[in-house]
Amino acid sequence: MKDIDKWKKNADLENLSDDEKMILDEMGLSGSSRRKFLKQVSAASLSIWASSYFTSELFASNMKDLPDNPQVLLNEVKVNLRVNEMVKPLTLDSRMSLLDALRERLALTGTKKGCDHGQCGACTVIIDGKRNLSCLTLAATCEGKEITTVEGLVKHGEMHPMQKAFLKHDGFQCGYCTPGQICSSVALLEEAKNGEASYVTEDLKKIEENLNLSEEEIRERMSGNICRCGAYNNIVQAFKEVHSGDDEMPTWEFATQEQMEKAKKA
Amino acid sequence: MNTVKESGVGQAIDRVEGHLKVTGKAKYASEFPVENKVYAQGINSTIAKGEIVSIDTSQAEKQDGVLKVITYKNAEKLKTFDKEMTAIGTDSIAPVLQSNKVNYYGEYVGLVVAETFEQAQYAARLVKFEYKKDPSAVIKFEESRSKAYTPNNGSNYSRGDMQKGLSEADMVVEQTYNTPIEHHHPMELHAIIASWENGKVMAYASQQMVDDATIAISSTFQIPKKDVRVVSAFVGGGFGSKLNLERHAIMAVMAAKIVGRPVQVTVTRTQMFTNTGMRQQNEQKMRIGAKNDGTLTALSHETLSHTSTNMEYQEPCGMVSKMLYNVPNNEVTYKLIPMNIQTPFAMRAPGEATGSFALESAMDEMAWKLKMDPIDFRIKNDTQTDLHENRPFSSRLLVECLRIGADKFGWKDRKMEPGTNRKGNWLIGYGVSAASRNSPYQKTYSKVILDLEDDGKVHATIQMDGTDIGTGSYTIIAQTASEYLNIPVEQVSVELGDSNFPVTPGSGGSWGAASYCNGARAACENAVKGLKDNRNIPQDEDVALAELLKRNQIKTFEAEGMAEPSKEFEEYSVFSFGANFCEVWVDKDTGMYRIKRMVNVGSAGKILNPKTAYGQIIGGLTMGAGMVIAEKTQVEPNFGNFITRSFADYHVPVNLDMANIDVVFLPEEDKIANKMGIKGIGELGITSVAASIANAIFNATGKRMRDLPITPEKLIEAEVEEGVSLS
Repeated sequence: MKDIDKWKKNADLENLSDDEKMILDEMGLSGSSRRKFLKQVSAASLSIWASSYFTSELFASNMKDLPDNPQVLLNEVKVNLRVNEMVKPLTLDSRMSLLDALRERLALTGTKKGCDHGQCGACTVIIDGKRNLSCLTLAATCEGKEITTVEGLVKHGEMHPMQKAFLKHDGFQCGYCTPGQICSSVALLEEAKNGEASYVTEDLKKIEENLNLSEEEIRERMSGNICRCGAYNNIVQAFKEVHSGDDEMPTWEFATQEQMEKAKKA
Repeated sequence: MNTVKESGVGQAIDRVEGHLKVTGKAKYASEFPVENKVYAQGINSTIAKGEIVSIDTSQAEKQDGVLKVITYKNAEKLKTFDKEMTAIGTDSIAPVLQSNKVNYYGEYVGLVVAETFEQAQYAARLVKFEYKKDPSAVIKFEESRSKAYTPNNGSNYSRGDMQKGLSEADMVVEQTYNTPIEHHHPMELHAIIASWENGKVMAYASQQMVDDATIAISSTFQIPKKDVRVVSAFVGGGFGSKLNLERHAIMAVMAAKIVGRPVQVTVTRTQMFTNTGMRQQNEQKMRIGAKNDGTLTALSHETLSHTSTNMEYQEPCGMVSKMLYNVPNNEVTYKLIPMNIQTPFAMRAPGEATGSFALESAMDEMAWKLKMDPIDFRIKNDTQTDLHENRPFSSRLLVECLRIGADKFGWKDRKMEPGTNRKGNWLIGYGVSAASRNSPYQKTYSKVILDLEDDGKVHATIQMDGTDIGTGSYTIIAQTASEYLNIPVEQVSVELGDSNFPVTPGSGGSWGAASYCNGARAACENAVKGLKDNRNIPQDEDVALAELLKRNQIKTFEAEGMAEPSKEFEEYSVFSFGANFCEVWVDKDTGMYRIKRMVNVGSAGKILNPKTAYGQIIGGLTMGAGMVIAEKTQVEPNFGNFITRSFADYHVPVNLDMANIDVVFLPEEDKIANKMGIKGIGELGITSVAASIANAIFNATGKRMRDLPITPEKLIEAEVEEGVSLS
């Protein structure tokens, strides 16, 4: 738990980045309360509430705080991974997927392993502007490519509109498929702008740029991302709101007293 | 900033941990930074029954980076079961690699530990096992009926006289409904990072019930419970599969001890079929008798399922049939075939999800025979008394659910005669079903820490070992603290999933919300009471929390709380109720069908947060739809392996499979359930969905589909039901 202690110490010294300060501010924690909060929490919960904020700092500034290189490495390949606008030189096993490189070597655990077979979409990242399955991408093939993960969608402490929409519309439950859903959605916005066709495009001759995707189109184009919690309707609402700019209304309601009385009597 | 009014109990606030999930910062089990960790990969048996006769680990051990190959020959000795057919529970021991016996295809027979994931995965394929197959393996359900036994758990039940009830009936429905093996498949693969420090186990593990996980580890390794710490801060879905501690976790703890370094095990998606539980196949025979006026006279529900050859699990499929309707003569029985397939265990709404498919399909069949509207038929047989327990329901608004849902859905437009609502090639059908789910509530401890900040505000931290498996625990607990401490939710932190925190029953069985929130409530109430008592402030005097701390001249204060069911609770049957409505369009030529829309009405006590509650309902509906449209685990009949072993062959619903869903919550006050009136909503949604879809398919096509899943080829081949005249 050396890293955690280090983070904790940094936190005590208020040695935080602007992003981290903002997040703690958002939690209503400032001054002594922030210090107290960071002191009070256990190592485990510090990791939940705080380490995540520190990961990006480590990633950005301090390579030696990343997980150590494996003691024994086979099939060594050197690759410069450009992730979230930061270049990371890595020596890795040629068999290593981009997914495992992100999670196990760069501590970017936002990208999730749901099946490791390209069947669930949880590992979706954006490579050179297109959504890609990082579990089916060998890390060694990514030299020179621009990789964006869910962590990289946050710019200067500000969430991407799609992240905000997922939060607002509860487009997730357990949160495990969520980074993949969000990366897919962000890339899909571009696909719509570029006028790319899908399996349910009605007339391939009539495709234009800046497509206004129907609900059917959105559902089809998001069907590569499985959500076992079943938050699909909320995901569609989140996407629609960002895509169209119009507010989406909830589809739940409470029965009125009038309805209750009518139902009792009928 | 929100005020308490905007963030307390009942408000549709965003999830308090939501920003961590949408930015990728939430830490799941395998994501904690643990230094010096190594990776391990489990190896699975390739026979259904028999013995390992030889193991060659030399090739694997020769690989660079491989630290250890563990099999029964060099495994740590663990506690094993004292008797045959031990019932599986949430805190069961999980012995693994203890003998050369193989009980099912896919059982763990070895583990490879290596410096990297790639090395472990590759080396695992190099370990060679030779087996002596036992030809007596039981792998064919249909051909093994004679091996079925009555489980010894007293679950068989009867009231009245079934034969008399049937003889009094004007109409009898006697049908069998089949549901296949299904798998939970939470998106997060089961994972653990385990380490030993000074004889103590530290495990970051993906578990729904943290306390039971510590019990399972400590009793399997026979070490004191206090020497085991389990952290499950975020759980990427469970649906029952993470209730108990599975064997990969025990292997990881064992390997960590052997190699002296932290070990990470992430099971593969294929292992999620064979090593993390499942819902077993059920053959449910229903017999229903009714008078011409719709009065039920008899109802029996016989279930034939299977369990493993060494452990017993019996899904209570007949649960709903015992209590949902006013029927004097009732019988519920179970039989189990011990099979060489892994031990089944609870999957979302065990009993209700499958049992209500049978019951609510049979009810629809009877309504059709009686030429009664299926809603009227159900309402006619409503009861405010639980005839099974012979006590009143604490509250039961099933009739209201059905009627309000009918209005919302536009049920009046439904055609009684199947196949008469058409649009081009589409046959349109409407279906309905009723739902009920037990609302348990269990003893829960919780702690609150109050801090008076320099800005004059109080920050509260709630701690308990409960988990948030996507259910919204973090959020509803924060809202509870906000409500009972009278501070905005932004001044509340919730810390969950650490076995160092006060003990809760964990997440499962729809008891999480009621247990966690009442536990948090008790702690908050005790805090306020304690602060008032210290300064002799009357309990009914309204004093702000910050002021209370100031008057006590303290900056920090801690209180613990415990909540448990009342005596009154035990005198009532506490259930939630619901109604599902569904519109299905079936292509008359291809049998392809689409679920066009769904309406769900639920009366589930106090809705703590309609936004997260809506998520629970649509999640249940989606998984229920999966039961109908696709989900089936197929057993290979000669070898006993699962043919379906990835998401490419085991299809779960995807975005395009789902349709618009309207959810209506009934305002319900049920203070008998518990002080906050919470009933839980995680399983109500999945209950009886399958029947509403199957009933809609009947209404569309005149075909009764009694075997799940209802695939287009089955639908095309099915005969139109007797008595249906399709023009």
